[in-house]
Amino acid sequence: MLRVTVGGDAGRGAALRALAGAVWRVLPWRALAAAGGAGAAMAAGTRLPGQQPDALIGLLVLRLAALAGGLGLAFLFDDPARHTTETVPVRRPVRAGLRLALVAPLAAGWWAAVLFLVPAAARPPAGAVTLEAAAIGAGAVALAAASVRLRSEPGPGAGAALALLALAVAALLLPSRWDLLAPPGDPDWGQAHRRWAALLCWAAVLCAACLPQPLRRRRPALRTRRPPDPDAPAPLHGT
Amino acid sequence: MTTTVTAPDAAVTPAAAPGGPRARAVLALALFEARDLLQQIVVLVFFTVYTVAVVRQMISGHLGWHELTGREGMAGYPALQDADRETQTSAVLLGVALFLCANRAALRSRRQDTDRHFGTLAMDPWRRTLGHALSVVPFALFSGLIVAVRFGWAALRPGAVGHGSVFELAVSPLTVLLCGVAGVLLARLVPSAFAAPLLAVTSYVVVLDSLVFADSHWTQWLSPVVAESGGDPLPSDLIGRPAAWHALYLTGLIALLLCAALLRSGGRTARIKAATALALAATAAGIAGQSPGPSAALQAARAQVSEHPESVERCAVRGATTYCALPEWTGRTADWAEAVERVRSLAPGAAAARPLTVRQRVEARYGLEGDPSYDPLTAPGVVTVGTRWGGNRVPEFSTGLASTLVAGDEKAGGEVCDGRVVAVMWLALGAADDPLGQLRAVRLDDSTEGGSYVLTPTSGLLMSAGQTKVVAELLHRPRAEVTARVKARWTELTRPGVSTARAAELLGVAATGLGAEGGNSCSE
Amino acid sequence: MTVTVSASGLTLRYGGTVALDDVALRLEEGITGLLGPNGAGKTTLLRVLATAVPADRGAFTVLGHDPGTAAGRLAVRRTLGYLPQNPGFHPDFTAFAFVDYVAILKELTDRAARHREVRRVLAEVDLADVRGRRIKRLSGGMRQRVALAAALVGDPRFLVLDEPTAGLDPEQRMRFRELITRTGEGRTVLLSTHQTEDVAMLCHRVIVMAGGHVRFEGTPAELTARAAGRVWSSAERDPGARAGWRTGAGAFRNVGDPPEGADLLEPTLEDGYLLTLDDTGAQAVTR
Repeated sequence: MLRVTVGGDAGRGAALRALAGAVWRVLPWRALAAAGGAGAAMAAGTRLPGQQPDALIGLLVLRLAALAGGLGLAFLFDDPARHTTETVPVRRPVRAGLRLALVAPLAAGWWAAVLFLVPAAARPPAGAVTLEAAAIGAGAVALAAASVRLRSEPGPGAGAALALLALAVAALLLPSRWDLLAPPGDPDWGQAHRRWAALLCWAAVLCAACLPQPLRRRRPALRTRRPPDPDAPAPLHGT
Repeated sequence: MTTTVTAPDAAVTPAAAPGGPRARAVLALALFEARDLLQQIVVLVFFTVYTVAVVRQMISGHLGWHELTGREGMAGYPALQDADRETQTSAVLLGVALFLCANRAALRSRRQDTDRHFGTLAMDPWRRTLGHALSVVPFALFSGLIVAVRFGWAALRPGAVGHGSVFELAVSPLTVLLCGVAGVLLARLVPSAFAAPLLAVTSYVVVLDSLVFADSHWTQWLSPVVAESGGDPLPSDLIGRPAAWHALYLTGLIALLLCAALLRSGGRTARIKAATALALAATAAGIAGQSPGPSAALQAARAQVSEHPESVERCAVRGATTYCALPEWTGRTADWAEAVERVRSLAPGAAAARPLTVRQRVEARYGLEGDPSYDPLTAPGVVTVGTRWGGNRVPEFSTGLASTLVAGDEKAGGEVCDGRVVAVMWLALGAADDPLGQLRAVRLDDSTEGGSYVLTPTSGLLMSAGQTKVVAELLHRPRAEVTARVKARWTELTRPGVSTARAAELLGVAATGLGAEGGNSCSE
Repeated sequence: MTVTVSASGLTLRYGGTVALDDVALRLEEGITGLLGPNGAGKTTLLRVLATAVPADRGAFTVLGHDPGTAAGRLAVRRTLGYLPQNPGFHPDFTAFAFVDYVAILKELTDRAARHREVRRVLAEVDLADVRGRRIKRLSGGMRQRVALAAALVGDPRFLVLDEPTAGLDPEQRMRFRELITRTGEGRTVLLSTHQTEDVAMLCHRVIVMAGGHVRFEGTPAELTARAAGRVWSSAERDPGARAGWRTGAGAFRNVGDPPEGADLLEPTLEDGYLLTLDDTGAQAVTR
């Protein structure tokens, strides 16, 4: 007879391992692979014959590769079976954290590969761009987590990816006093990276705040103008 | 059930004959989808940012996004052959938003599983695709409107010169349309949500690749927006941009992507196939037409104007000054004359009446992107003026003019480093509305203290810390008093070799701390 | 009555599975019920008749139009209202916008008339009050009615409804029946369902399908009559019965070939349906 293991670290560890296998299989591999492939292809483009990238181009390519990676990570929490899996005993932060934990080493390895694909001459300081990439990735995950929290839909990825892209464009338009996209050797480089670090922290905080499943639904007073529904909304088929 | 059965409206009978009514159904769908696009938050945000950015650029004259404050001052004197092109870059913003959202909209019925139902409705899948593509048209029209307002605003400025090109103006709406149609095509080729954002980033790299990495003219022009900027405005006939071919290329490409999307959704009618062939031909013709670089004739004409502007210029005499302007700039003579008379008004009789020639020069040999530099002229009394005007260009011109007036010719004027700098800077700035502000504007480091480089249309000149101090002090004093002193001591003030300390003394400024060389900048 | 839809020899295979095998049928004005167990081919038949998929073989006409040609298919689609099984929705659209969207795809071009028509069908399915509400805020029953409104918009002469009452509570099902009865007036309605009560209450004709074949075509009374003398009551489950179950009153209701002197009961449509399936070798239902 099947028993749900409660208590006991060994039992919990076994349950986690079993869950890890299942989560591994349902990760959004197509999105992740497409994003990873696109990012790597961009970086590899700098090694094409006839290209002589300088530090500025190297930085640009790495930033765009990081953005591509972020777009892939935005789909991390996509779960077509969300309406079913929401009610299992394993809590949402554990399931989401497991997805993160499974993808994080892959993402790190991918980023290292992307860094080395850019020729050394064109490679900006690795620590600084890695910070940028980490902030972009964390931002993508945080947007997806926020979408799960706010809308609880099976596929938050598409919306999160759009939002990430919109934020990236917004970063281009930032006035110089909040500039994030400092070119290499710019006097603002250090300051800009302090902003990136702050962004990374904010993204992590947002992510942590959004992951737990709310115990009760908050209904702001503003929404009371709508008359109460005669019957509650039901989940849609095939969304 | 409380409702009663009502008879359906007689007018709701579906469109009977193919042709007109079916096309109207597609238009109705396009309208519906356009309204839905406008409700997408990404489109809404980018739409607003685009509009605000364009309005801000119109007012400030800046092209960049980053400068939130300050005015370049050149917006009042646009060259329309550049202003038309400047409308293009910001349209990409709206284009990206529409690429993403049109893609999302075209995938909606697949994502939300209504395809099974919609597939049995009267409108064929390819007509639905057409409706999605056409839903971008209102946004393209809007961007066309923005472009028209922006260009019209520039063209109506009293200081506007030159001629715009309607083909350059068409690039913004065409780019928006291209992006939207590409989004729809992508939805039909790769029906997944992550394709569009990824492709947006990837194509950004590819476009950068063709613009930044590649040097060849023909790949550069494959990008929808080719914003060549950086150089001084050139006469319209020397611009040499294949704008008409590029507009044809974009139109052909839009039609080609649209036809591909229609064919992909099963629209295999003879008309669509013919349109595909036509679009392919138009795209190919556009590419072929826009690919060649500047022709030999154009390069010869550019060299001719760069080296011998007098061969094409028209000259007008006003007072003691002759103004020679390129044909499109003759309307600016009055603005130049105003600056010239302001400088002359501070000089004494003989100097004030000295014949001068203002010669307009433009460096066209390096195309639209070369940052031009001009060698100072050696002919006596000939002063260079560029093709830009307004803002800092005015005090720069005044400084060049004043140095020529003091030293005799432009080359000698650029080499002035002794006490004469004081007289030069007084002439240049003394009669301006905000002399200290103009001093800051004309200096490379925007300062009013310490030594710095002073910009002129040609080589510029150096100001020492001492000279700056004296000039700033003069600019603080009442204009009439200083003017009288300068006119009275003119000969001595403009004698070659006079020290800055002596000049200060002649003008009654405390000459302390001017240093060993008497405050001159000759050895700096 | 005039025949509005007639089909013959419809055959469709999915891989190795025969979904439709030489199906022939004739529909008249009014409501025809389509009964059958899961996998009987009901949905496939409806999809073929709704021009969603072409059949591998066979032909059919709807109101004289042959969907085998492009022009014919367009003509069929212009007379067709289709409510698919588990219809999809665009949750961010309002009920009005969704039905309007479908109306546009049905090529109703005149904007004012189209909006009038959308309002009319939404009123007809009793959704006039919530037409401005987003579909994601509607209950399952309301959504089903939105889908029905989408099928009804444009006043189609031929309605294909695939399990329209699935997932509805009894009250909603009653409202739906009322609605479908009304819409059946002057139209040809083909209604697929698992609910024999629906058929008994709504339909003037019934078709039973199993294994891709039509097993029965006739009136509900004829289907019920198939069970005449083949339903009986007993204190214990009768081992000779094809199917039997304990009723709320405590006695067993048996369907099959009764023993001598059995206490015969009045048959229902469901009995006739079960026996029809059983007679044709389809899986018997034992409850």
